[in-house]
Amino acid sequence: MITAKPVLLKRLMIITFLLLMALMAVMFLGLSLGPTHSSMRTVLQTIFGTYASDAMLHTIIWQIRLPRVLLSALVGAALSVGGLVFQALLRNPLAEPYILGISGGAAIGAIIGILMGFSRFPGVSLTAFIGSIATLILILAMSSGQTILKKDALLLSGVMVNAFCAAVIMFLISMTQDSRLHNIIFWLMGDLSLGDMRQVGILAAILLPCFFLVFWLSNPMNLLLMGKELAQTMGVNIKLVTVTLLVATSFMVSATVSYCGLVGFVGLVMPHLLRLVFGPDHRVLVPACVLGGGTYMVVCDILARTLPKQGEIPAGVITAMIGAPLFIYLLKRSAK
Amino acid sequence: MIKLQYITIAFTIAILLFVFIITSSDAKTAIDQLGRHVTVPENPERIVSLAPSITEIVFALDQGYRLKGVTTYSDFPSEADKLPKVGSYVQLDLEKIVALKPDLCIAIKDGNPIAVARRLESLKIPVYAVNPRNLETVMQTVQEIGGLLNVEEKADKLVQSMNHRIQKVKSLVAKTAYRPRVFFQIGVSPIVSVGTHTFSHELIVLAGGKNVAQGPIAYPRYSIEQVLALSPEVIIITSMARAAVFKQIKDEWNRWPNMPAVRNHRIFVEDSNLFDRPTPRLVDGLELMVRLIHPELFEGTQ
Repeated sequence: MITAKPVLLKRLMIITFLLLMALMAVMFLGLSLGPTHSSMRTVLQTIFGTYASDAMLHTIIWQIRLPRVLLSALVGAALSVGGLVFQALLRNPLAEPYILGISGGAAIGAIIGILMGFSRFPGVSLTAFIGSIATLILILAMSSGQTILKKDALLLSGVMVNAFCAAVIMFLISMTQDSRLHNIIFWLMGDLSLGDMRQVGILAAILLPCFFLVFWLSNPMNLLLMGKELAQTMGVNIKLVTVTLLVATSFMVSATVSYCGLVGFVGLVMPHLLRLVFGPDHRVLVPACVLGGGTYMVVCDILARTLPKQGEIPAGVITAMIGAPLFIYLLKRSAK
Repeated sequence: MIKLQYITIAFTIAILLFVFIITSSDAKTAIDQLGRHVTVPENPERIVSLAPSITEIVFALDQGYRLKGVTTYSDFPSEADKLPKVGSYVQLDLEKIVALKPDLCIAIKDGNPIAVARRLESLKIPVYAVNPRNLETVMQTVQEIGGLLNVEEKADKLVQSMNHRIQKVKSLVAKTAYRPRVFFQIGVSPIVSVGTHTFSHELIVLAGGKNVAQGPIAYPRYSIEQVLALSPEVIIITSMARAAVFKQIKDEWNRWPNMPAVRNHRIFVEDSNLFDRPTPRLVDGLELMVRLIHPELFEGTQ
């Protein structure tokens, strides 16, 4: 372990640097693309303030596109880390907040919050958090009783919980009569279009401490994956670590759901891809998921707003279109 | 050196004053229909309308040339359809609005997301919100928009003619005490009608009908059985387009010959924009509605 440390540190720094560059690159792309066309050069000059471009472009880049890009990056990071944690704790490579119904539970809570007229923060975030914790407990209760959480049992309980959540959401929507209905439907499909800097600030304040907490617990996660007995002998307080991680993850997921609705499969795509490239060490994977997940989500958001000629596709639709086939592929491969 | 400093300071103050005078002279403060104080330009030249109804009102005042952007379903008058689109009125595209550099956005309370309005205001684009709820407030809205655009006279004239035509309908309907039961269908699957707090309800009542769906729910849903139980004498189905689909709906109702509306061939398919858009065209809708509900009042006049 002692000899491994400097190597790990070097590896961590290289990977972080590379992914940070990638994130910066797509963020720049996100700032320069949109319905109003402007050349990359003008965008660069506007960003670095070397050229006094017209006030309109300045406003669009700094006050409309920047919050949106930052919001996407935060959401992608949170969902990726969420997926990573669930996959490690449940020892199931197909676990993901959306597939397990945690996002659905958060969405139910959020819709109830919206219908009760709460503000996005803290009201709706809190009801979303309650919803996600409730579904988490439900899933754990349903799939417990076995010493090891079997893959199929867990996935099936997740699918059922998700279906139930979808039914409750449909019920709530069918009961809604007023004009809030449209807003709820757009939001539910994963809407990143209305972020402003205040929201980004609040979300960052919620998520960043969670990222650090998960990173801090990344070594115990490694040990947990090697087996509970081993982890215990290495001095890991299994219960405390598991509960802390689950609560922190649910908290992150519910925060993103209450701001951007249901964005699925991000927690599946990124952790898998990164694990494939960088190996199974969570001390590397956690920061990689934060940066890589952010990159992925920014790309999805760019696709969401540039693909259609008129209007935009909800970001959740894009992530599901990429993620669902991958899920089926992974399921098939793991069945072999 | 000191002298130079004084001159600089005096010069700066003069410039600031000048700027202040310029900026203050071409802005006015208006109170919109949500009771908010909005600083709007003296003579707005670049308006983005955030709802089809607002677009129609601006065009009805002959001020369409000031519109630089409209929403997706702004299809009346046809010139409006050619203007740049900034998304639909429930899903506005913030960037497109900002890119049009509007000096005024006119929003509607029922439909436009409040979040977009707040964002626009934080970007220093004034948002004047209207909230028409019935014919009277529609006319008030026409006058207020007329005031914003400095065409008060035109707005007054338009409102006068609307009032005049409404009075004519009222006196016509007063000739009979008969109030047929009207089922006003705006949705097909599920069947949706209109409650008391809608424009369509107001038009039905003014046109001498009885809205069988009246009640506190704005857009109540019905099953076929419930509609049959109400035994409507007139059914008015509205559509945005797609006449073929609505023909099918008409045939669907024709399966129930016991219903008075079917028996007497009183099922109509009409353009929804005349009945639910808060615009001067509501009066056209009203005049059409009287003919549908009380055809007997027009017998012999033509």
